[in-house]
Amino acid sequence: MTGTLAFQLAIAGVSVGSIYALVALAIVIPFKASGVLNFGQGEVVTAGAYLALVLTTLALPYPLVVVVVFVLGALGGVLIERVLIRPIVSAPEFTIVIATFAIGLLIKGAISLRFGDSPVSIDGPFGMVPIEFANLRVNPTSAWILVCTAAVTLAIIAFFKYTRMGKAMRAVSINAEAAQLMGIRVSSVYRWAWGISTAIGAFAGLLVAPVIGINPEIGSLILRGLVAAVIGGFTSVTGAVIGGLAVGLIETYSGVLIGSAVKNLVPFLLLLLLLVFRPYGLFGAAEIKRV
Amino acid sequence: MKRVRALVWTAIAALLPSAALAQEQGVSADTITIGAFGPITGPAAYIGLGGRDGMNLAVKEVNAAGGINGRKLVIVFEDDAHSPTRALAAVKKLFEQDKVFAVMSVGGSNATVGAVDYVKERGQVMYVSIASAPQVTWPFSRNLFRGGTTEAARYGELYAEYLATNAKTKRIAIMSGREEYPRNEGDATVAKLKSWFDIAPVARVEFNINDKDFTGQLVEVQKSNPDIVAFFGNPAEASIAMRQAKELGIKQPFFVGSNMVDPSLIAAARSNAEGVTGFSLIPLLPGSQLPDMVKWEGAWRKEYPNAPAGRPNNFDLLAYGDAHVMAEALRRAGKDLTTDSLIRALEAIQNYRVGPVATPRTFSTKHHVGNLTLVPMMVKNGAWEPLPWNSTRESDILKRYQ
Amino acid sequence: MPMQRGSLVGACVFAVLAIAGAFLGSYPTYLLNLAMINVIAALGLNLLTGNAGQISLCHSSFMAIGAYCTALLTARLGMPFWIAIPAGASAAAGLGALLGLPAIRLKGIYLALATLGFLQIVQILVEEFAGVTGGVRGMSVPKPAFYAGLRVAQYPLYLVVVACCAFAVWTAGNILSSRVGRELNAVRLSPHAAQALGVSVARVKLVAFSLSAAYAGLAGGLLANVVGFIDPTEFGVSASLRQITFIVVGGMGSVAGSVIGATVLSGLPEVLRPVKEYSDIIYTAILLGFLLFLPHGLVTVGERLRMGVIGTRQGSE
Repeated sequence: MTGTLAFQLAIAGVSVGSIYALVALAIVIPFKASGVLNFGQGEVVTAGAYLALVLTTLALPYPLVVVVVFVLGALGGVLIERVLIRPIVSAPEFTIVIATFAIGLLIKGAISLRFGDSPVSIDGPFGMVPIEFANLRVNPTSAWILVCTAAVTLAIIAFFKYTRMGKAMRAVSINAEAAQLMGIRVSSVYRWAWGISTAIGAFAGLLVAPVIGINPEIGSLILRGLVAAVIGGFTSVTGAVIGGLAVGLIETYSGVLIGSAVKNLVPFLLLLLLLVFRPYGLFGAAEIKRV
Repeated sequence: MKRVRALVWTAIAALLPSAALAQEQGVSADTITIGAFGPITGPAAYIGLGGRDGMNLAVKEVNAAGGINGRKLVIVFEDDAHSPTRALAAVKKLFEQDKVFAVMSVGGSNATVGAVDYVKERGQVMYVSIASAPQVTWPFSRNLFRGGTTEAARYGELYAEYLATNAKTKRIAIMSGREEYPRNEGDATVAKLKSWFDIAPVARVEFNINDKDFTGQLVEVQKSNPDIVAFFGNPAEASIAMRQAKELGIKQPFFVGSNMVDPSLIAAARSNAEGVTGFSLIPLLPGSQLPDMVKWEGAWRKEYPNAPAGRPNNFDLLAYGDAHVMAEALRRAGKDLTTDSLIRALEAIQNYRVGPVATPRTFSTKHHVGNLTLVPMMVKNGAWEPLPWNSTRESDILKRYQ
Repeated sequence: MPMQRGSLVGACVFAVLAIAGAFLGSYPTYLLNLAMINVIAALGLNLLTGNAGQISLCHSSFMAIGAYCTALLTARLGMPFWIAIPAGASAAAGLGALLGLPAIRLKGIYLALATLGFLQIVQILVEEFAGVTGGVRGMSVPKPAFYAGLRVAQYPLYLVVVACCAFAVWTAGNILSSRVGRELNAVRLSPHAAQALGVSVARVKLVAFSLSAAYAGLAGGLLANVVGFIDPTEFGVSASLRQITFIVVGGMGSVAGSVIGATVLSGLPEVLRPVKEYSDIIYTAILLGFLLFLPHGLVTVGERLRMGVIGTRQGSE
């Protein structure tokens, strides 16, 4: 493999990896706060993509679309938390896992019925012509996705470190009961966690739409996002992001080196290996419950 | 004693279906019941929904004009979710439970192959509008007919001829998906390139349906330095592949399979679709401003005012045309309607089409390949335009049915 | 329900099914076959999830293993069905034990993820080795035979399915009322207490995975013979969720729950025919509804009506 090709593949890997990173972020945040893993997160991304489609068809300027997607995404998350998650947050894990799966499928079904299954797309905010330099090409939309992912990651880290709600969320994730006794309103924290998570998920959908296209199946991204979250250990924000980039790079390189046939196996083999041998990931705290 | 009785009842029960056939199930004094199946749920739903709606539009027109020899046409539709297992279940139900007279398939190749063996055994007519799986017409089976989509081998003939005789494209790279239809297109093209022109593709790569990343395959394609990249899959994949190709610096044009010569490719790939070529199964695509299409789309929108974006699509048109062909054959079969009279009527159809929105169908007693016509097109300024190219080689397909 | 009364009722039901099958047409027989196959699959899943408390999203993968093994043994080696189907079930059981090994150390979300990963791997392998399995296009399964030359007709095949279903129900009931059953429930309710009392939690989990896989494998082998065609979409995530819906709706942790859930939901697509475009959504909504409002399943509805008192079912949280 030539150096140029290796670099080009690195660009491709990081481009697709930053999407996985966003999805992983969106998964990890409510898990950290409320212990609920949202298996329907993929469909939140799909919903975000379709929302972007609707808004773009209405000819709204891009910055406005971004704001609306964030706001509506957050509201959607708050609504889901209130109506569907709150009643089952203390139910056995099985119920929560399957319920979030089911919510995701309902979202997907509704989108399918309303919009049909034909794939569509929207243009990226900076056009689709690749920028060329030093014999390498970068799709401006991919670069934009990377920038946004970095921005969101920094924002989330700052949120956890410096804001009241962020610190409250960290407290709740360590010990909800103690946090409650300290005067923190746990229900408020959950609401925020879900709102932020779905906002990020919807935003990821908006970012991803020009690159992957818009159709009801793009929710299958969640599988890669889950692998990334496992790499990160589920409790670390930076871990999730690095996990996402890692999955993207591994996927891209193995596609060229091993061949497309078994390339799809790699993330899942990685998932199983990690779960068995290092379930707290490469960055997380050793908090796995074992019997 | 119980066992003997059970066996006697089983024997009687086994005889009952054949008794029903003797009085031609699905045909009553005032109705003809036809079964139909295709995917209306799942990722291929745009095929089945289009097929169903186009077919129903045609049926409505037929009934409004008085029906068929005094009988109304009734359709019973089953979902196959693009799965061969479900398609088989659907067809079983249609024939055995709903007692239909004949069945139309408006589903994809992947699912329809599940039903083929059963229908062959059954002996009643199945008319396949959209699927191009070879098993439908080869080996020849008297009760199976293929309408809109042509033989996979025919794609191979036309694609090979177009690619090879077009002087600039002797080095051909082929990317095909692992599903029935794209793989058949790819295989057929490779076979004909070899046997007619002695050309081997410079690269042949495969991908999985629903893949989102084609970097690996595209790198291999790029290494082979092709003149053109032939892509057989679905519009969603094509749009990603074409974008990634540009990012890898692949400047060669794309040639796509006929299921992608559809407005949805342009909707998905947007500016990357410019300059893409392919062959179309219908002479006019939805969205064309020519008066015949405008008129047809008007009638369609009146029937389906709440349809989502991207409809009507090619499958609406294909199924519409073929439903009319079926209706015409039912009419010609006469008042005394049997499976046999229907087959004879279908085999007598020569160059029939309902109007300019369909290509003509021709069947014979030797072959049931209804359509061998494909129209070459290119994306120009965001829309599919016909190309002034005509095939000059005679098709080999019908030869093997002699 | 006391064991003996339950067995008597069960025996009567299966006897009626067996006899009635002689009078039914081809399509109703087909539907009943599918329903009974669903019951077998649900029984296995309920042992693993309802009783042993292990979340599994890959139950359909074990069905796939059973189905493809049976199909390949019949197609490639010409084996009669009464060897091919048990062989398929055994293969599935073996792989279930294999999955059970790493699963021992996992719980809850992490177990769910691991089983999801396993499912994806099985799907990809089936699709990749298309030369063997037919890949995405599926493979045709030769008609079942007693031995080379004597084919199994429709009614005898139906009787085989009835027999297998009866066997599955009977063994599941026996397991649950035996020591193994108590160990399964103990592992779910309080693994620490169970361990303290000398129950090897690891062994019980392994047994649970292996058993559930055996049931699924049997169901898969029967499916291959009844339908005559198998393809990977029949064994994906939606299939696993469907089986989970069976036990959630029916009632987790009991044989009656598995039977009720699988039977009722097998009949649902027929009822939903007029609105088939919405059938997926309706199915999912039913699952969610039960999870939120009736998590103990339909079985408890019957109990509650019977007892006239609101109480929790024995053996659930």
